[in-house]
Amino acid sequence: MKVTAPAPGLDPGTSPSPDSTATSEFDLGLARDESQVDELLATLDSDLIGLVPVKTRIREIAALLLVEKLRTQAGLSAGPPSLHMSFTGNPGTGKTTIAQRMAEILHRLGYVRKGHLVAVTRDDLVGQFIGHTAPKTKEVLKRAMGGVLFIDEAYYLYRPENERDYGQEAIEILLQVMENQRDDLVVILAGYKDRMDRFFASNPGMSSRVAHHIDFPDYTADELEAIALLMLEQMQYRLSPTARPVMVEYIERRRARPNFANARSIRNALDRARLRQANRLLARSDPRLTRDDLMTIEAEDLRASRVFESADGAAEGAT
Amino acid sequence: MTDRSAAYDATPLDQAERYRSGVLKYAQMGYWDPDYEPRETDILALFRVTPQEGVDPIEAAAAVAGESSTATWTVVWTDRLTAADHYRAKAYRVEPVPTTPGEYFAWIAYALDLFEPGSIANLSASIIGNVFGFKPLKALRLEDMRFPAAYVKTFDGPPAGIVVERERLDKFGRPLLGATIKPKLGLSGRNYGRIVYEGLAGGLDFTKDDENINSQPFMHWRDRFLSCMEAVNRASAATGEVKGHYLNVTGATMEDIYERAEFAKELGSVVVMIDLVIGYSAIQSISKWARRNDVLLHLHRAGASTYTRQRSHGVSFRVIAKWMRLVGVDHIHAGTIVGKLEGDPNTVRGFYDILREPHNPVNLERGIYFEQDWAGLRKVMPVASGGIHAGQMHQLLTYLGDDVVLQFGGGTIGHPMGIRAGATANRVALEAMVLARNEGRDIWNEGPHILAEAARDCLPLQAALDTWGEITFDYTSTDSPDFVPTPTPT
Amino acid sequence: MRITQGTFSFLPDLSDEQIRAQVDYCLEQHWAVSIEYTDDPHPRNTYWEMYGDPMFDLRDAAGVMVEMETARQTFPDHYIKLNAFDSTKGVESLRLSFIVNRPRAEPGFRLIRQESAGRAVHYSIQATATDRLAGERET
Repeated sequence: MKVTAPAPGLDPGTSPSPDSTATSEFDLGLARDESQVDELLATLDSDLIGLVPVKTRIREIAALLLVEKLRTQAGLSAGPPSLHMSFTGNPGTGKTTIAQRMAEILHRLGYVRKGHLVAVTRDDLVGQFIGHTAPKTKEVLKRAMGGVLFIDEAYYLYRPENERDYGQEAIEILLQVMENQRDDLVVILAGYKDRMDRFFASNPGMSSRVAHHIDFPDYTADELEAIALLMLEQMQYRLSPTARPVMVEYIERRRARPNFANARSIRNALDRARLRQANRLLARSDPRLTRDDLMTIEAEDLRASRVFESADGAAEGAT
Repeated sequence: MTDRSAAYDATPLDQAERYRSGVLKYAQMGYWDPDYEPRETDILALFRVTPQEGVDPIEAAAAVAGESSTATWTVVWTDRLTAADHYRAKAYRVEPVPTTPGEYFAWIAYALDLFEPGSIANLSASIIGNVFGFKPLKALRLEDMRFPAAYVKTFDGPPAGIVVERERLDKFGRPLLGATIKPKLGLSGRNYGRIVYEGLAGGLDFTKDDENINSQPFMHWRDRFLSCMEAVNRASAATGEVKGHYLNVTGATMEDIYERAEFAKELGSVVVMIDLVIGYSAIQSISKWARRNDVLLHLHRAGASTYTRQRSHGVSFRVIAKWMRLVGVDHIHAGTIVGKLEGDPNTVRGFYDILREPHNPVNLERGIYFEQDWAGLRKVMPVASGGIHAGQMHQLLTYLGDDVVLQFGGGTIGHPMGIRAGATANRVALEAMVLARNEGRDIWNEGPHILAEAARDCLPLQAALDTWGEITFDYTSTDSPDFVPTPTPT
Repeated sequence: MRITQGTFSFLPDLSDEQIRAQVDYCLEQHWAVSIEYTDDPHPRNTYWEMYGDPMFDLRDAAGVMVEMETARQTFPDHYIKLNAFDSTKGVESLRLSFIVNRPRAEPGFRLIRQESAGRAVHYSIQATATDRLAGERET
């Protein structure tokens, strides 16, 4: 674990005692500047829409880790900090994206040596026959060491109803590494909140090793609208003035429907709108197009969605 | 490109004029063609031409093209029995050398059909066999050549090459270490073998016959081979490493060379050695023998500096290096930069690139004038030998990299604590420097410090640093590149 | 005696920290690292036993250090070495190989001289470690 250089004026030879509180020898500001963590937190704010409670938790964790580093310099120790986390929430709420940013932040603060993210699911960890699981899990762990291991839908590791299931073996190995090699690896478990809660209840060993639980709430309608506009901008499309209120309405309707996957659903909707735009342009009598024509999504491109059909006629999963 | 046509009439002639008896300018006989686009399959050469006073540079370039292909000093009607145009070499570009008035670079293209496939003897006879004595030239140097893949593929190349050599020795991740046995002449076989044993047991990978140790009254070659192989095997058993001594099989005739090589193989040597002076045909023969017999082939470039050293006249060593990679040797002496023998840092690194890289892009700072694709030809291990010592290890490693044999003859045998200590000092210095470099330390600047640290656990290294620490060889090079990078403002 | 195979054998045995630095260097070059062990250190014994396959795609030395440690615990009295493999065209071979564990006693080699015609001798080297009966050794 890399520790930043002591602040100027601090003599590395002195062994500080807990009683010497009168003078300030530990420059938090300097440590903060040197880690450049503010820069990363700022890009979190600017790049990612919404996620306010998540961003708040991340700031809190970053503060804790920064102070921990100074305490270590001072010779004070609360033991190696537990960094393993669980991210709970519906699909499309930014869990993988945030995990990546978290890896960078941990790297900047010196808690993780390389800062890469390895994202896996149960199938990457668990084998199909006896003896297959341990090497499979260990290989994933070795690749992730120095960085962060992100296990999506981690609860699928635990299948007590099937006695020939090898997930338990993977869990044992994970528990060992999470406990004994905290310097080498940070684990983030992710998935739906209710299933995750049940998983932790049945696996107290796992639960005790996870220090930080972060919940990812669904996006608000305003946030989803902002996400849609950002995505369109990145894809170099724009909504016509008449299309904008249709988009707002679309979002409201779609949210209410089952299987809403937040940002991912917005992305899918935009892709379908692009499809309709393309067919609309092709069907026009006049084939000559302006640059504007190529870029603009019209209201009708959105209205065509089945989401706008009446509630009775709408099938499940209408988009 | 300079257009000299205004001052010098080089207009091509029509057929009748061209073949009327008499003497014509070379440039008018078809040997100068500024519009010629070299083909993929052409062999290209770059000459440095110093015409005599009053001789036009284009005419000089054309004359070089002519005299290294089909021309003679007068028109001959028999040319018309051939597809003469095709066989004429074409000078297609002439430029003054930036730093030296009176010198010109001339680019010349040769059709592939001019050459016998897979024969360096033929290549050299063609390109340099005739033209260098030509009176209208005050001086002439063959600077560089480009070989198309079509030509490269007609050669076998190095019998083992760098990768196979390392796999045979089971030695990876660091330069190899060697030493030439000193004194150059006079030792008996038994005494010679003792030095081999001490050096190898102390930590060298190889020891070496010198270029003029062949078979003299003071030591017959058979006695040398027997003593050396006893020493090599003793050292191997003492250390658990594969060891070797370059047994010099150079002889008066090819038959002698084969006889000596066969004996070396019979005694189990991993390597044999030849001198450049045996000639290109002999080298190519022994190269094929080495491949058939799974023996490494070390080439000493004996005699090369008679014609490679002066920038104005001769053949650049980079051309020799290219020829030797084609002809097929596993080791070739290529310069040390910081030792006692001639070697500008940029020029020498150019030689190393030519020997070791799969593909050479144009690099004027290193004197590489042509892009050269080696078409999968194996790589030659360069050998750095001549006045280097352990105190320069950081410079050697930085300049020359890992794939090189570092030879410390005087630096081993002249060690105050003895030969074995000398070998150990070099080996410890090398390993410590490689370790530090891999850790990311700045070995160029911290080198002496790293050596001092390692010397604390190794008395022989400390003694070596104390004895030679201050020695350097700083003279102005006679063969530095014409194109040196302009320093960039920081 | 002390066999001097491997890149760093003339230096004092590497500490774990030094080994980690070398492994990190290999991983930065995108070389795969493997662990091999043997009780037969003959210089021509190319194929030591593999302790697992070469490890590809690692970003940090920790994974290798863990495996090396279990190898040392499993085979404390064997030679163990780390290798680095470079898959670049024109290399496709090892780039680094160094010993990370030695048996407590290194028995060394015996040199056998077979006199033949004239003054010629045919040499062979035997690792005395392999003198034990075949059944007493793993291989």
